Amino acid sequence: MDTIYFLVQQMMYFSIPLLVVALGGMFSERSGVTNIALEGIMIIGAFTGILFINMFQGMLPGQPILILAIIIAAATGIIVSLTHAFASINMKADQVISGTAINMFAPAFAIYVARMIRTVQQIPFVNQFRIEKVPVLGDIPLLGGLFFRNAYITTYLGFAILIISWVVLYKTRFGLRLRACGEHPQAADSVGINVYKMRYIGVAISGALAGIGGLIFVIPTSTNFNATVAGYGFLALAVLIFGQWNPFKILLAAFFFGLMKTIASAYSGIPVLSALDIPNEVYKMIPYIATLIVLAFTSKNSQAPKAEGIPYDKGSR
Amino acid sequence: MKRIFALVLTLVMVLSLAACGSPTPQTTPDNTKPSDNSSTAVEDKFELAMITDIGTIDDKSFNQGTWEGVKKYAEEKGITHKYYKPTEKSNDAYLSAIDLAVKGGAKVVVTPGFLFEEPIYIAQDQYPDVNFVLIDGNPHDANYNYRTEKNTVGVLFAEEQAGFLAGYAAVKDGYTKLGFMGGMAVPAVVRYGYGFVQGAEFAAKEMGLAPGSITINYHYTGGFDATPEVQTLAASWYQSGIEVIFACGGALGNSVMAAAEQTNGKVIGVDVDQSYESNTVITSAMKGLGEAVYAILDQYYKGTFPGGQGLIFSAKNKGVGLPMATSKFNKFTQADYDAIYEKLANDTDGIASNLVKDTDASGKSVAVTDLKTSAVVLKVVE
Repeated sequence: MDTIYFLVQQMMYFSIPLLVVALGGMFSERSGVTNIALEGIMIIGAFTGILFINMFQGMLPGQPILILAIIIAAATGIIVSLTHAFASINMKADQVISGTAINMFAPAFAIYVARMIRTVQQIPFVNQFRIEKVPVLGDIPLLGGLFFRNAYITTYLGFAILIISWVVLYKTRFGLRLRACGEHPQAADSVGINVYKMRYIGVAISGALAGIGGLIFVIPTSTNFNATVAGYGFLALAVLIFGQWNPFKILLAAFFFGLMKTIASAYSGIPVLSALDIPNEVYKMIPYIATLIVLAFTSKNSQAPKAEGIPYDKGSR
Repeated sequence: MKRIFALVLTLVMVLSLAACGSPTPQTTPDNTKPSDNSSTAVEDKFELAMITDIGTIDDKSFNQGTWEGVKKYAEEKGITHKYYKPTEKSNDAYLSAIDLAVKGGAKVVVTPGFLFEEPIYIAQDQYPDVNFVLIDGNPHDANYNYRTEKNTVGVLFAEEQAGFLAGYAAVKDGYTKLGFMGGMAVPAVVRYGYGFVQGAEFAAKEMGLAPGSITINYHYTGGFDATPEVQTLAASWYQSGIEVIFACGGALGNSVMAAAEQTNGKVIGVDVDQSYESNTVITSAMKGLGEAVYAILDQYYKGTFPGGQGLIFSAKNKGVGLPMATSKFNKFTQADYDAIYEKLANDTDGIASNLVKDTDASGKSVAVTDLKTSAVVLKVVE
């Protein structure tokens, strides 16, 4: 039983950042803008968030500082994503190119600024954010062990973002308009929706979530930030596609990827799995093979927004 | 409104570009003040030069350790010094950095890392009047024909002894379930690992522990980065009862530390004293990078530069060790440390010379499963 608790707790460290970032990507793509800059935005968000923690640690207690850092990461994520929005919405540039530009810019920027401020490129932080056990909830049999021990508030934040995303996307006027802009912007425009504005908002939300995702990716897994998120921004894109641009399917995809990643790296410490004697490469391959299979079978009726990646031009029909 | 917004955005982009456009400190003169005896010296001549490898000068590892040695010696003696950062990881880039250093007046060029073996092989002929100190390697050409000229010295470290000390100390301190996590199976990492295993074995025998009373999980992660995979792996080891992990390989140590903080585990650091990176670090298997550089520079200025040689820094010349001042041991004392260190240094009962390294006497590589252990049970994780 302890092993299962351990696996689920570890899985959250993989899955929650993937979930949050993939949801961010969903908002952007649903509005019609491809956002492959998720990786770069994650790095920038993690950078400012960790830098803030590094500077103010000790002055403030643990959880408030984390919440503030999350807000800062989201804010910087928005700022960076707006450059992508400007290039791809106003300038009608190729969205892949401006996204790639951000991905290349981000680590260089993080290293450069870190060295200007601190003379070293690594930004250390003390992890004082882990919650040993949530009072009351941690004592619930089964669920307590799975979700309320060895957790971070970011785990619950991730679930909150998931539910809010679903409500916003499917239950509000705004969500309908956002989706319309991704499916058929001309039609949306013809009934008076400002496509540019909707797309800006979509990209900004993705920036905020990717920034947060970067920060909560780094906190449980290292003791310093070294200008990298190890390709998890791209993995989040895979999660997004695997989840077919739907919040709850994205959750399942994130859990699936997270669980496979966890098993692939942790199996040597788990007696049952190490006895099976399956090479860990197999576990590592499974998420990607599954993605390929899913794509092969669903590409015909893929749920990808129809107008995704196409700059909106008022003049064209 | 939209115009203003666009304007603001453009401004942000231009500003951020401007921020990137300002000259980056590629080469940083650290000591521009003229030395005592040559106040008329041209300011842009630097006698001692160091070339960084792929890492940065503040990598808390090789470059930093080497640079500290250069800096210490230069500042004590008032010698101008400077480091150069190659533009990329390639022999050509390293050679042009060396060229830059020589043009900048370098008399001694210090290069840390085995990546410099080929560039130095070429440079030692190209610049016969310049002396080269190659840390952690010996110059060879692309076909591994080794040749060290009179103006060059290669320095290796007995990593197996540093690992030995760490393993010995851990077992002596009462730990029975250990783990070794290396980056990639490159020779230095392998030597650390084998030394660690043999140190644990030695301590267990000395304490008269029953066969199989010590277990060591042994694993190469395949990379030197801090990733959630490494963190998860380390956490699963701690979860399964492992008490201390020897994290051997660059930033992967940070992920092991993160896992240790979460599960109340312990970590042994590598290369340099890593105790200040996390409270979970009980000690570090150190190479005396700075000491080696310092010693050789000292020899150079005394006119006894050991050119043409390949030196090995071991316990004998204080080239490896544990930072006892910052170590967090419960039972293992300074006296214990001094005793084992002396044995290693004097090679009592062949303790140092009998250590199995990554290759045997004939140069064939040794597999970890070939290590003969009785008190220690090795569990190799592929």
